[in-house]
Amino acid sequence: MSLLSVRDLSTEFRSGGRWLEAVSDVAFDLQRGEILGLVGESGCGKSTIAYSVMRLLARNARIRSGEVWLEDVNLATLDEEELQDLRGRQISMIFQDPTTALDSLFTVGHQVIETLQEHLDLDAAGARGRALELLRQLGIPAAEQRLKAYPYQFSGGMSQRIALAIAIACHPQVLIADEPTTALDVTIQAQILQLIRRLLVDEQGTGVLLITHDLGVVAQVCDRVAVMYAGKIVEFGDVHSIFANPLHPYTQALLNSLPSKGIARGRLENIQGRVPGLADRPAGCRFHPRCPQAKVVCRERVPPLRQVSARQEVACVLYD
Amino acid sequence: MSSTTNGQRPLLSAVGLSKYFPLETGLLASLRGNTSTVKAVESVTLDVYAGQTVAVVGESGSGKSTLGRLLLRLLQPSAGQALYQGADIFGMNRAELRAFRRQAQIILQDPYASLNPRMRVDQIIREPLDIYDEGSKAERQKRVQELLERVGLNRNHERAFPSELSGGQRQRVGIAAALALSPRVIIADEPTSSLDVSVQAQTLNLLSDLQRDLGLTYVFITHDLSVVQHISDRVAVMYLGKIVEEAPTEILFAEPKHPYTQVLFSAIPLPDPARRMNWDLPKGEPPSPLNPPSGCHFHPRCPQAMSACAHTVPRFQAVGRDHGLACLLYEDGTGS
Repeated sequence: MSLLSVRDLSTEFRSGGRWLEAVSDVAFDLQRGEILGLVGESGCGKSTIAYSVMRLLARNARIRSGEVWLEDVNLATLDEEELQDLRGRQISMIFQDPTTALDSLFTVGHQVIETLQEHLDLDAAGARGRALELLRQLGIPAAEQRLKAYPYQFSGGMSQRIALAIAIACHPQVLIADEPTTALDVTIQAQILQLIRRLLVDEQGTGVLLITHDLGVVAQVCDRVAVMYAGKIVEFGDVHSIFANPLHPYTQALLNSLPSKGIARGRLENIQGRVPGLADRPAGCRFHPRCPQAKVVCRERVPPLRQVSARQEVACVLYD
Repeated sequence: MSSTTNGQRPLLSAVGLSKYFPLETGLLASLRGNTSTVKAVESVTLDVYAGQTVAVVGESGSGKSTLGRLLLRLLQPSAGQALYQGADIFGMNRAELRAFRRQAQIILQDPYASLNPRMRVDQIIREPLDIYDEGSKAERQKRVQELLERVGLNRNHERAFPSELSGGQRQRVGIAAALALSPRVIIADEPTSSLDVSVQAQTLNLLSDLQRDLGLTYVFITHDLSVVQHISDRVAVMYLGKIVEEAPTEILFAEPKHPYTQVLFSAIPLPDPARRMNWDLPKGEPPSPLNPPSGCHFHPRCPQAMSACAHTVPRFQAVGRDHGLACLLYEDGTGS
């Protein structure tokens, strides 16, 4: 059984008196001990999926339909109290800006220990010991002293380590990481990604849903990837297969627009036009107005995600 | 670097340029005699030749943006000179400075923050022409049209407010405004960092086209090494206020010599799962520029540090044609 199974999830936002769909019929499974990447450009709905799974949507947003199974529990139908009990213990999340996850009025030690005592049966000394162990595992030097420090005394990279320590304190099975390294310098980014890969996934078997716009990050740490465009998954599968042989015209265009892909100083591939807003997503395949290979049928038919090889699924009529 | 391109004189140079920011300001601090400073830029020497793109790369706090602002005299230096066509921009009088500012412009990272939200697109682009009293009203309006077209926008965008445009379109407005006075050199400070990759590609292509058609010179400040490799002729790598290595782009990417450059390059997540990084990462974080390490600033994190690195400041010196670096491993001819 999959660790996390998202079934036909649609999430919508209220805007100007009507509901607009941000995520449409998205489905995927996350396995134990893997990193699944959700990649796409701004506005594609990747973060909305994360907030839907965690049931942390803003007040103007709601899950319209679909199921989110964490093993045998459907998160989509739980009440707030039941969710509170699961969050942190079974499923956790870290964010792009780690300072949003930290309370500036309390020492980081207080915050890590609070999480531990909230969910685990630990006395004060036991929780403190575990907190120290966590900080050390996450590569925070002088852990004893750092427990007594306040969030403002930490750099961005150190804050993200603390946020990660709090998120994994109770050994959740699933970690959702929403652009966890986007605000960090590359050397720090590499350190954090390494922690997630080695400590969490390889050693502890956590399943990680990694939301990112950075195809380099996907290529380096993910096992599988879902490429999103305008609220839908357009291509899904094994990272090696998709980077070596992207099938969807959007995935192809995205990879070709990367500066490092081409030889230095060549011309980068452009994608015509721009990502449509929630209110003006086109009928048919949502990429068709920008697609260099669009056919007449693409204007009307919504292509379903289809298995085209052992390791790749794509939503495009070219592969029917 | 002192080497020249075909004996040409550089268009823009930094010569021993430094900028120290006082840590505490105000009466109390001055009464206490508190004079501690942050050395944001320390003795930077850099030549930029006409028609070239020089990338200045580094992580947060490396001083790269401060260097960019010094090169435009948007900041006063603590020491050193910045030469534009051989003349020190810090010694220019009002009229000379006004002439210099026509020729040297800036493009900023965040088009959401750098464009006045209450001005319409055509006003934003026309503003430099108004300030410099360029041509008649009709001529200015015509120039605005030209510029809009030049950056890939059209009449529909003319009366829009920045908030009505996408990030990529806003960046184009910023570029059009920078081009209004036909500058020769543009300092581009992280111009594509807040854009999605497909929009970044459009913007980089536009900047390349403009350089080719208008003969522009770019100083491209960025933390993104894949962009650097794509767009620049030369690269200067900064760490805690100093240039640690400088070389032509192909040479630097093929054979980075300074241990910091090597570390930086090894940390780039390449979009190729067949070439995964070996995770042989530097320990720790860049130290605070408030209290930089003695000797070579990089020594506490350097995988190849020697005992001398803790107290000896390495000199910047040539290790090959057009290739220079500051590292004790390469001093006195050893290692190079």
